This record gives sequence, C-alpha cells and structure tokens, in this order.
Amino acid sequence: MKKLLPNSLVGQLLLMVAFMLLIAQAVNMLLLYRGTQNQNMIEASAGAVARVGNFIGRREVIGADPRRGFRWRGSRPIISRNTVIGDNVERLSELEERAAIAFDNMGFNLRSVTAAKVEILPPILQNSVVGLRRGRPSDKTMGRQKNRQIDGYILLSVQASNGNWISIASVVRDRRPRIVGTLVFQTLVLYLILLIPLILLGRYIEKPLRNLTEGARNFKPGDGIMVPESGPPDTRQLIAAFNDMQGRVGSMMDEKDVMLGAIGHDLRTPLSALRVRIESVDDDGERERMIAGIEDMDRTLDDILSLARLGRSGEKSEATDVSALIETVADEFSDMGDQVSFSRQNRLTANIRATLIRRALRNLVGNAVKYGNSAEISLDSSNNLLKIHVDDDGPGIPEDQISSMFEPFARAEKSRNRATGGSGLGLTLARAIARDQGGDIVLENREEGGLRATLSLTMQ
Amino acid sequence: MSDKTHILLVDDEASLREPLAEYLEKQGFRIQQASNASAARSLLNAYDFDIILLDIMMPGEDGLSFCRYVRERMDIPVIFISAKTEETERIVGLELGADDYVTKPFSPRELVARIKVILRRANGSVGSSTNSSGSIYQFQGWTLKTDQRSLNDSDGVAVPLSSGEYQMLLALLSRAGQVLNRDQLLDITQGREAHAFDRAVDNQISRLRRKIEADPKSPEIIKTVWGGGYVLAGDVQTL
Repeated sequence: MKKLLPNSLVGQLLLMVAFMLLIAQAVNMLLLYRGTQNQNMIEASAGAVARVGNFIGRREVIGADPRRGFRWRGSRPIISRNTVIGDNVERLSELEERAAIAFDNMGFNLRSVTAAKVEILPPILQNSVVGLRRGRPSDKTMGRQKNRQIDGYILLSVQASNGNWISIASVVRDRRPRIVGTLVFQTLVLYLILLIPLILLGRYIEKPLRNLTEGARNFKPGDGIMVPESGPPDTRQLIAAFNDMQGRVGSMMDEKDVMLGAIGHDLRTPLSALRVRIESVDDDGERERMIAGIEDMDRTLDDILSLARLGRSGEKSEATDVSALIETVADEFSDMGDQVSFSRQNRLTANIRATLIRRALRNLVGNAVKYGNSAEISLDSSNNLLKIHVDDDGPGIPEDQISSMFEPFARAEKSRNRATGGSGLGLTLARAIARDQGGDIVLENREEGGLRATLSLTMQ
Repeated sequence: MSDKTHILLVDDEASLREPLAEYLEKQGFRIQQASNASAARSLLNAYDFDIILLDIMMPGEDGLSFCRYVRERMDIPVIFISAKTEETERIVGLELGADDYVTKPFSPRELVARIKVILRRANGSVGSSTNSSGSIYQFQGWTLKTDQRSLNDSDGVAVPLSSGEYQMLLALLSRAGQVLNRDQLLDITQGREAHAFDRAVDNQISRLRRKIEADPKSPEIIKTVWGGGYVLAGDVQTL
C-alpha cells in the first residue's frame, strides 16, 4: 500500500486533491441524481394531475361521462369503485400534497388524493397512461424524451365527492445515463482546471526544496556553496536560513581549525625543542626512552588533531593501487622488525584518499602487532566492495566489548594503562576515516583464534 | 670564507631555535639565526648561505612567503620546518620550491642527514642536480610528479610509495641510463654510506619492482647490473 503513494510532496498533494475531488463529485452526483429523480416524478405527476383535473372539470360541466363525445388524446382516466393503488405500494406523500393543492386550486372538492410509484403498470390502466407516446411525438419535449428509459409509473387516484375513484398513470422517464455522462465530463474538466495549475505550482515549490535537500546532503563546512533562493516566499526564507546556518557552521569549523592549528603548533614547538635537547643526553638507553616518550606524545597529538579535522581534508580522492598501499604499510612494519605478512595477488584499485586510508590501515596493523603479536593482511573483493582483512594471533576481544572498542580511549584490557603505548584513538580514527570515504571497519573474533579487523572500501 | 657549511635558521620560537643552533654548531655547521622574515632578509644580504632552515608558521610574514622571496632571487636550498603535517601542506611547500620538509618534532640527526643530502645534490657531487621541485618524469607508461611525490600508471591509477622507495626511484630516474652502485644510491637517498652487507638498497629496489614491474622476477624498468648496481632502463622524458 505504501508503495502506491507517491513519495513527493506534490505527488501526495495531487493524489489528495484528486481523491477529494472525486469524493465531492460523487456526493454531487448523488444529490443531483436524487434531485432529478424528484424532478422526474413531479414532471410525470403534473401531466397526470392536469389530465384528471380536465376530466373532472368536463364531467362537472357536461354532467355525464366525459369519455363520451370528447376525443382523448392517448390516454384517459378510468373510473372505478375502488382505488387502483394497492396497500402494499410505496405512497408518495409529497406528490399527494402537491396534487391535493393543485386540485384545490382548480376548485374541485375531492375526498382524497393518492399517488404511488410502481414498477409495473396495472393492467386496468393499460390505456390510461400519460407520456407514453403513440406513433408521433406530440411536441418537442416529448421528442427529446425519446431516448429515455421508462423507469416505472406514477399512479394518481383521486376519490371524487360521489365516492368514485378516478385514476390515471404517468410514465417516469429515467435520466440516469445523461447524468452519469455529465458528471464524468464535469469531473474531467475540474481535474484539468485544478490539477494542471497544481502540478505547475508543485514544480515551483518542489524544485527549491529538492535543491535544499541536495544542498544539505552535500554540505561540507566551508565549501561556500549556497543553495539558490527560489520558490515561494516561505521556501525562500527556509533556504536563506539554511544558507545562513551553513555559513555559521563553516565559520565555527574554521575557528576550530585555527584553534587546533594553534594547539598543534604550540605543543609541537616545545616538544621539538625537547627533542633537540635530548640529543645531548649521553646515556644511550635514557635518550632512547626519552625519544620514545616524545614520539608517543606526538602520535597522540597527531591522532587527536586528525580526528578533529577529518572531513576537512584537502586531499582529493584518486584511483589508487590498494595492493601497493597495503604493501607500503606492511613494509613499514617489517622494517621496524614486526611480523607482518601480505601476499600480493592481482592488482585492485579503489577511489580513495590514500594518505588517510594508509593511516587507518597503519592503525589496524599497529593494533594487530601490538595486541596479537603478528599481522596477516589479505585482500578480497566482491561485487563493488573491497575488503582488507588484518588478522592477528592474539587473544581476540570478548564479543560484548567489540562495539565499544571504537569509542575513543577504549582498550581491550580495560585498564587504560599506557604501558602498551598508543593514544587510544587508533580505532576511532581508523573507522572515522573509513566512514568518511563511504567504507567501514568491522572487528570480529576469528574461529581459529585471534582477531580479524576488516576495512571495507567501495571500488569505483 | 670558511669551509663550514653556512646555515640560516629562521624560526620565531627561541626555545627551539637556540638549542637547534647549538646542536648544529656541534655537528660542525656555521649558523646564523633569525626570528622573523625581515631579520632573515637582512642576514641574507649580509652573508652567503649554503642552506636555509625555515619555519612555516611565523608571526608577520610567514615561511611560505619568505621562501618565494628567496626562490625569486637566489639559488639557495630551503628546508621547511613546520608543525603542520597535513599532506596537502607538504605539497604546497614543495611546490613553492622547498627542497625538503621536516615536521616538528623532528629528529635532529635526521635533519642533519637531510641537510647533507641536499647539499650534495646542490654541489653536484653525485651526478647531475635533481632539481626536485616541480619535475615530471615519464617512463614506460609511468608518471612521477615530484611536486606531489606521486606515481601514476598509464591509466592514472596512483601507486603509493614509501618515502624510501620514492627517493630511490627519483635517484634512478634523474640519472636514467647511468649505473648506480649501492653506495651511490644510499648516498643520494639517505646521505649516508653503506655498511658492509647492507641490504637496504636491495630491499627498496625489490619493493619498487613489485609495485611497478609487470613481472618483478624479470624486471624491465629497473635492471640489475651484475657486480655494479642498478640502472633505470628505457626512455625517460622529463617535463
């Protein structure tokens, strides 16, 4: 059901309007139909009343059976002892009242006036039907009624002062087919008149909204791309407000960058001064430990700054030989004496920011080496996804702690002691880098023991 | 003129500048210090320098601008010293014609090694000058751009290189057709001499081959000369 609904504002609006119009037209049709039906009855009964009135009038004038000596065209009322209207037919009280008033106006004194609608003409009234054309149309109105279906009869039976019943029938013509045609036509015209401007209006509203959505989706702080202000005034205001916000976010990010740059500068300068002075320490062991300490601090600082600046990197994505990239990282670690293996197979390329991905991979391999003694890197590709697996032989991570490993400063051993080195930002940063480029990092315990970290990237 | 290498050290941070100058003097260099660009400019007019160590982030005129000034007027090698590590800024620095770049905190020994490499290049003691800034080398479908330190294949796919591999490839490319032995390669790339049984060069070469040769076992680009060393075969176009 949901799939049938259009998912755009204008689509839904149009559907709603069309649906409402249809309902309104249906109600309209019902009312009109009932109105015409009433009209039909009144029309039909008017003839009958006139005929009966004429009949009674004549009878009163000539004092005899008016059927004699007068040529009745088509139909004449019958006189009977009893009413022709049975008890079990639907009486038309409204018609009865109207007829009674009419007869009253004509100056007849009648005991009662009854009227009813029947589907089948009683045989007795076979020759007393008003409106049944015989042979030739009597006038234009009759001519137009030619095509109409007979939709039952109205029986009019009045009791004269002498107790006799004078009865006549009148044809009720059906107007339904024309009503339906008219209504369909009307609805179509309404649709044309209403929906075409609505579609145009919708476009007018929808386009700027689409631009806005696009703008919000592609928003990168500081790129200065504004969404063009167009559409109705309130949409323009919305877009202007959005552009404003974009500017504010951009300048906030700029401020942050300036601040981070200053922090980086102000911390690294004394660190480098220290690094230079350490060279004059004579004890080799002492000096190496001091250098290691400074390098550790520098890495932490670097991780923090990188994480904070991520998404603002000026590096462009470029088709890159991922196998060569992995090799470069693996070699770095091998050179340091770590056990890292990568067997290169066929060449796989992906559209990535190589410097950042290299860094993410370095963090994964670094973890594997640190906590799992060795790292085995493998590469596989399926569909449009390129997966770099980094497997280690360590103890793995309890399942319930895996997701929290990505939180800043999380450590598998829970203790946050820095004996093992590293900033505690490695995984956080690595995943942020992967996600920034449409990829991801997943950790899982391997069945044969050890942890597998998988860095997935989309190929171009 | 003394025989000592004359270095102009420009950094606004006295806390770094002074100990660094002291260290470099101990290493046998002659040092002039400047705390900003205008002081550096007047020193530049007063002395002949062999190399400039330049901080990028300085109040007033920054290092990039000063480097441009130096490049327009004279041919003195420049090494940037900066706290910024963003790769793009590295590229900006090299595009402006700096010969190298170290990031704070750096190892003073490494800095000295780099100074020696650059001076050797500048003095033309090993082959011709590499003129590292802004060259593009094309060889057998590959393109190496020195301003971005990037290597791309014929389809434009970037192949990441470690800095050792990059230095090695650049050394071979800039002396294409010339056989270079291990000592020369180490000297060009790292400014140090080979120890006996030093496998560093062979290691880098075999890594490079894995990345750029169609079949690393029978190399077509970097060929081994038995008993001699390595040579980059085929045509190299320099743009």
